[in-house]
Amino acid sequence: MSNRMDTIWSQLDRKSTAIAEFTLRQYRTRISTWVVMIASVVALLLVLLFYIEAMNTEIEAIDNDGDSFDNDGDGYPNGQEKLLGTNPDSAEDFPVGVEPDPPEKWINEDDIEWTNLKEGENYVGKDDDRDCLDYYDTTSQRDTNDNGIECDIIVSVDSLNSTVSIVSDSGVDEDPDEDKYGKEAGHRAFILGIGKFGIVYLLGIFLPLFLATGLIREEMTEGTIHYMLAKPIARGEVLLYRMMGYIGITWPFILAVCLGLCLITGFTGPGEGLFRWEDVPVWMSIAWAAMLVSLVYGTIFCGFGIVWKNGVILAIIFAAWELGMAFVTILTGGDSSIRYMSVIGWGMIIVDAGAAVGWPDNWQLIEIGLWGGGHGEENWLGDIAYIPLPGAEPLSAFSGSPNLGVSNWLALVISTVVLIFQGIMAWFIGQTIFKGKEVN
Amino acid sequence: MMPDMTQHGKAETEHWQPQKSVPVIMLDRVSKTYGRINALNSVSLGISGGVTGILGMNGAGKSTLFKLMMGKVKPSSGAIRIFGVDPWKNPAPYSRVGFVPEHEKMYDWMTAFDFIVTFARLHGMTRKEAEKESTRVLSFVSLADVMHKKIGQFSKGMRQRVKIAHALVNDPELIVLDEPLQGCDPLARTTIMNVIKELGAMGRTVLVSSHILNEIERITEQIVILHNGRILALGNSHAIREMLDQHPHKIALECDNARELAKSIIKIEQVTGMSFVEEGKLLIETNHLGEVHKQLPRTIIESGRKVTSIDNPDDDLQSILMYLTGGSA
Repeated sequence: MSNRMDTIWSQLDRKSTAIAEFTLRQYRTRISTWVVMIASVVALLLVLLFYIEAMNTEIEAIDNDGDSFDNDGDGYPNGQEKLLGTNPDSAEDFPVGVEPDPPEKWINEDDIEWTNLKEGENYVGKDDDRDCLDYYDTTSQRDTNDNGIECDIIVSVDSLNSTVSIVSDSGVDEDPDEDKYGKEAGHRAFILGIGKFGIVYLLGIFLPLFLATGLIREEMTEGTIHYMLAKPIARGEVLLYRMMGYIGITWPFILAVCLGLCLITGFTGPGEGLFRWEDVPVWMSIAWAAMLVSLVYGTIFCGFGIVWKNGVILAIIFAAWELGMAFVTILTGGDSSIRYMSVIGWGMIIVDAGAAVGWPDNWQLIEIGLWGGGHGEENWLGDIAYIPLPGAEPLSAFSGSPNLGVSNWLALVISTVVLIFQGIMAWFIGQTIFKGKEVN
Repeated sequence: MMPDMTQHGKAETEHWQPQKSVPVIMLDRVSKTYGRINALNSVSLGISGGVTGILGMNGAGKSTLFKLMMGKVKPSSGAIRIFGVDPWKNPAPYSRVGFVPEHEKMYDWMTAFDFIVTFARLHGMTRKEAEKESTRVLSFVSLADVMHKKIGQFSKGMRQRVKIAHALVNDPELIVLDEPLQGCDPLARTTIMNVIKELGAMGRTVLVSSHILNEIERITEQIVILHNGRILALGNSHAIREMLDQHPHKIALECDNARELAKSIIKIEQVTGMSFVEEGKLLIETNHLGEVHKQLPRTIIESGRKVTSIDNPDDDLQSILMYLTGGSA
């Protein structure tokens, strides 16, 4: 029996490798393969140029609390006078025997440095410039958020309702570093944006549109399918092994694109180290999502090609539906259940899970940026509409939560299983149609 | 005591045995319709061994017949068996079949050798086995010296030979060739005809379709004539010819003096009429073609006239079909 099994397996192996290898070689000879790949790389490089430019442009620092100004014209910035206990509004009162600081030292002097926020109330914040601790006279002035701690910030995290509220004492972490924050948030937003939309959706759908729709159809139209179908091989196998050939070209391409972008952004991105290792899991999840999504789309599109000679029309309609789903998934940040009715929705869960693993502080970074030091105007409801830091809104838009009610790793596994299941179903339906299809 | 009638006792075990002698091809009242078009109409046929020519005009149903045999299309009614197996949705019998499709399109970017090796591997061969077999079949069709050239650089005849070689790589018992001589030059035709004859001589069952009677006659005596999806005639080509010989036929002669020659030929009993088509051309009418052909050489010699050509203008498939269908072809 085992000998018989060996024979069957080895013969299957010969057939599968023969068709997969043949398909790969066929792709290599087709101009459409090179056009779609070169066009994808050029488009990504163009977007990358904008990223590199943004990373090399300094974001203008804003003096939120006016500490860099010299109100009384005595040469000492307000912040320095407040720190040393002299009156910033009196030219006669200035620190004696102390050199005046350059004004730029007092622009971003009280940065936000919170980490490790936990569920419930967190008391954070540090009054670096002491404009809260030293400037206010009374305890109530120093504890406006009324939690019994002077010059701090209350950050309440409610994961159940996905809300974070921030109530700060005056003058705490009020002057963050726009450039430092903006570069970090912009970098992450770029990776998530290009990853989710550019790679997982666009690359994930265009590669199969050009490379998979005709995988069987072109052979049927040209009549060359007869060579393959006159062999002792089931049509379902032909479809499967042709898809293996398709994977053989698309997966390495997606991996190469992601690796290239990971290296470029890793070395040019913001940060202390030479390379941003924390981005690697994110890029890996983007690559994995794009690979799975392109597999599912490829199998579906190939099936469309079998069903109808103009199967590409069906593929474009399907792509439009998926585009809608991509927007729904990105814009709702993973809150919409409708995304489960798509391929792309599951792909994006993988990216969100990867981002949560690589950047566990991402959601905090978003909240910090949206709060932006607590400056803003009171709206008609009495809430303060904060002015966000640069990069906070794009990061917030492109970030999402896997939102499956399980850990990130499990969410990654579940969405992978769902996508593979979708692929298997697409293959099963495709091969059933192909089996019953008359080939003339 | 009454026996318990509900007990049937232990049934005798029927050991399954493979059928040892099934016809290679078996068609039982097979019909195929495409919408309102009847491509094949209640065709019954059993073929085993030797070369069989499937003859028919374009649209007669030859390709449909082959597609049905190769499981490409499903019969509308009737049953098809290849080695006793229904080929629709079942590729199993193809391990013993070689098929040369009619389609001209090939993988022009591949070399002949690569093409055959790739498809040989679909028979479950290892790469090494496939390479060995491919070399063998390419030599068989006399393409060994150009086997590493791209198919795109090949002539029509060479391409047909590559297709034949690819169909032979699994050493099949049944070889189906759909119009293998179409568009080939005379030299390629002869080579392909010899290959087909040799396959038949090797004991293979070969099915070859064509719409040219002479071509088929040069390959085989066993022919099936298809017309409008039906089998019109079936059997030995000589028998069919004999049957046709009883029908009015024309013989065209070209000679130096047609009128003088006519005087001699009219003496042949079986000649029913003659006409002068143009200068130096004589048209004889007869109901016994074979008999007239027997007597013609002697009569010509005795007349002392110089005859440059003897031709049977209605000895083509169209004329045969006209006869067999009573003029409705």
